[in-house]
Amino acid sequence: MRFVLRRAGFFLLTLWAAVTLNFFLPRMMPGNPAIAMMAKFRGRLSGQALVALETIFGVNTHESLLAQYVHYLGDIFSGNFGTSLFFFPSPVSQVVRSAIFWTLGLVGITTILAFLLGTGVGIVAAWRRGGLLDSVAPPVLVITSAIPYFWVGMMFIMIFGLKLHWLPWSGGADIAATPGWNGAYLGNVLQHAVLPGLALLITTIGTWVLTMRNNMVTTLAEDYVRMARAKGLPGRRIMLDYAARNAILPNLTGFAMSLGFVVGGAILIEYVFNYPGVGYMLLQAVQNEDYPLMQALFLLITVAVLVAILLADIATAVFDPRTRTAR
Amino acid sequence: MKRTTRAGAVLASGLLAATLAACGSSSPSSGTGSAKGPSGTLVISNAQGTQWNCSFNPFLPSVLNTGVTMGQVYEPLVFINTLQSGKTTPWLATAWAWGNNNKTLTFTIRNGVKFNDGTPMTAADVVFTFNLMKKFSALDINSVWSVLSSVTQSGASQVVMTFKAPSVPYFYYIGDQVPIVPEHIWSKLANPVTYADSSPVATGAFMVKPCTPQNITYVANPHYWQPGEPKIAKVLYPAFTSNDPANTYLATGQAQWGSQFIPNIQNVYASKSPDNHYWFAPIANVSLIPNLTVPGLNNVAVRQAMAYAIDRNKVSQIGEYGEEPPANQNAIVTPTFSSWMNGQAAGQYNYTYNPAKAEQILTRAGYTKGSDGIFAKGGQRLSFSVINIGGYSDWVAGMSVIQSDLKAVGIQITPQNLAQNDFLARLYAGSYQLAYNNQTGGPTPYYEFRQWLYSANSAPIGKNASTNWERYINPATDALLNQYATTTDPATQHHIMDQLQQVVLNDVPFIPMTQEVAWYQYNTGSFTGWVTQSNPYALPGEYLYPDAGQLLLHLAPK
Repeated sequence: MRFVLRRAGFFLLTLWAAVTLNFFLPRMMPGNPAIAMMAKFRGRLSGQALVALETIFGVNTHESLLAQYVHYLGDIFSGNFGTSLFFFPSPVSQVVRSAIFWTLGLVGITTILAFLLGTGVGIVAAWRRGGLLDSVAPPVLVITSAIPYFWVGMMFIMIFGLKLHWLPWSGGADIAATPGWNGAYLGNVLQHAVLPGLALLITTIGTWVLTMRNNMVTTLAEDYVRMARAKGLPGRRIMLDYAARNAILPNLTGFAMSLGFVVGGAILIEYVFNYPGVGYMLLQAVQNEDYPLMQALFLLITVAVLVAILLADIATAVFDPRTRTAR
Repeated sequence: MKRTTRAGAVLASGLLAATLAACGSSSPSSGTGSAKGPSGTLVISNAQGTQWNCSFNPFLPSVLNTGVTMGQVYEPLVFINTLQSGKTTPWLATAWAWGNNNKTLTFTIRNGVKFNDGTPMTAADVVFTFNLMKKFSALDINSVWSVLSSVTQSGASQVVMTFKAPSVPYFYYIGDQVPIVPEHIWSKLANPVTYADSSPVATGAFMVKPCTPQNITYVANPHYWQPGEPKIAKVLYPAFTSNDPANTYLATGQAQWGSQFIPNIQNVYASKSPDNHYWFAPIANVSLIPNLTVPGLNNVAVRQAMAYAIDRNKVSQIGEYGEEPPANQNAIVTPTFSSWMNGQAAGQYNYTYNPAKAEQILTRAGYTKGSDGIFAKGGQRLSFSVINIGGYSDWVAGMSVIQSDLKAVGIQITPQNLAQNDFLARLYAGSYQLAYNNQTGGPTPYYEFRQWLYSANSAPIGKNASTNWERYINPATDALLNQYATTTDPATQHHIMDQLQQVVLNDVPFIPMTQEVAWYQYNTGSFTGWVTQSNPYALPGEYLYPDAGQLLLHLAPK
């Protein structure tokens, strides 16, 4: 219990620090949202519009920075993120909602798949060390995980999209499709997710395989594994309950963190595949000094990562009793 | 958004272009020309870099400049064509007249126009629209109320605008750039500035039905006031977050109308189908901008030398693949505004590429070349920094040409490639030595000249100057600009423009390098009626309003 409380306290402190940084950092960037809007429409907006834009965005507010900060903290706790400047006049919550589910679906599912598949392959490869899987998987995956994923994405677009016409390569669904919870639309969405999903999967799975395999190899050399073998326990049980259970601990923390980062999206994949996710939106928000949107997205990512780490800590404590007593 | 994603576009297109499948016309458009009523589906490809937020509020710059609302949905009083030297077509107004020494402007509003909810559009709606912009100054993005003093209705169908002073050029901002909104909707809004207007009630040929973050679907407005228009039943405008997928959509014929920069366009686009065409109409000058408050740059001889020293053809060829043509020191965009060119003055100054002349001017002005090959006078070397937008790979390439040309005549410049926001913040505030940028221009060259030269568009260093970034202040030039604003006579206007060109040639307040163009690609496979160089009835960029609406009205399924 004390462990959980301590962790929770740490969580709150980190959260406050993140929220505060989140407020001050964007405001230290050069320019202001009105100038950023002018930049977006380079040359198409006459200079006179700057005044109108500054009025719209409330740039020349007379509220002190401290008062703005207090205001901001209050808004965060009431879940009011204000109006997006870049997507003006849409509320931030609506803007984020339009993108977050695409990202959760694509990057979330891919991350989980990569972890499950990668860990599984890693366990088996280490267990049958020197076998076929062990001699093929690690070298191949070292290569695939070293390739930048947007490059893989572009290759996929070129080969499967433009040459072979097997799969769609742009957007989250057909542009003419009407969104709805029906088979036709969901099938369409799934089809569009295949290429970006695969590109992410084959470039991220390698890390899981390699770390899991190496952890397994170390664990398999432990005395308790030799003891289990000596007792004549079945191979499956040794592999999963004795070796994998211990070897997976470092990977679990990594997995929790990458789950946290899912809400940040995959900027380049979204860019290359024209996918309507959060990652590219975040980039846009930063480039266009959309403080409210930026703050909401950073907060979302911070909270997600912190929660994921907290859960990973607790999970590790459950799996490994030693961490509970550690001071 | 044609240029912000250029760097990425150039990088990636090389890869994609190599294998871009050349599939003829797999477009979803199906033309059934013989049928009555609108038919066919047009797909627009223009990467905005974002998903749609489905706002169609026609007063918000964030919405307006994506080209989704003004023109095809909301309409102006008149249409002014930049490509035909400001030729004016009656639109929601059938007639207009200047009076009282060009201090009043009377519009006659068209009868029989209906909003797409069936209610009639009247002079009252026009008066309401203008007074709404007065009440909420954030809606007045072209500052028309800086020159207007009142807008009132007269009789059943006339609207009288009274000006504080004669302001003839504002006819463009008032007539062509203001969307007429329905009073019965907008008068009920507490705050029109934050109004999303997701299902706009307007007079235009198209209605929004439906809009999703990924795609806007426009359908023909059954109440449209022009009989037989529009001829297209449906227009799709998908959201593209980057240039690459948007370019591929165009090359494969999945989209028929494009408005963006395509590197190596002949190979990537035009060669893919005999139906794929493109045309780039020049609209404004991309210029090297000296900060006239910086010692050295405040010397006109130095600026003149710079104008002679740079090979503009090379800047255009190397920086822009020749897609943006070289500019001239008259600052007249050609061929768009060729009829305004003061050829005699151009010949007199003869600003052709002439490095020898550049050195000669500097020597005559008392500069001597140091041992480092750079000119100096009184211990002050001609060495300056130049700010540029690092994300525009074409401008960065062009700048390296400018740098080496200037170096050759003994002037040193050091490019600083900045992020856009940083760049603009410094440009507006005047904290730079040299900069590289362009103005928006307008339907005649006067608009761009006024943007560059009018002292009211300037500001002290440290304060934001709206368009006169170089800080050029000259009462005689101001007087010429003001004089133009008082006359509707074309001969007088041309005479004044001739003198303004003399000013630019002599004072060299900015140095035009290349000409910014309206990016435009079109596929003639399933639609006819496109803007062409021989039939330039509107600016063909999808993001250029209200011109995009004109194009959609001219198009017809084959």
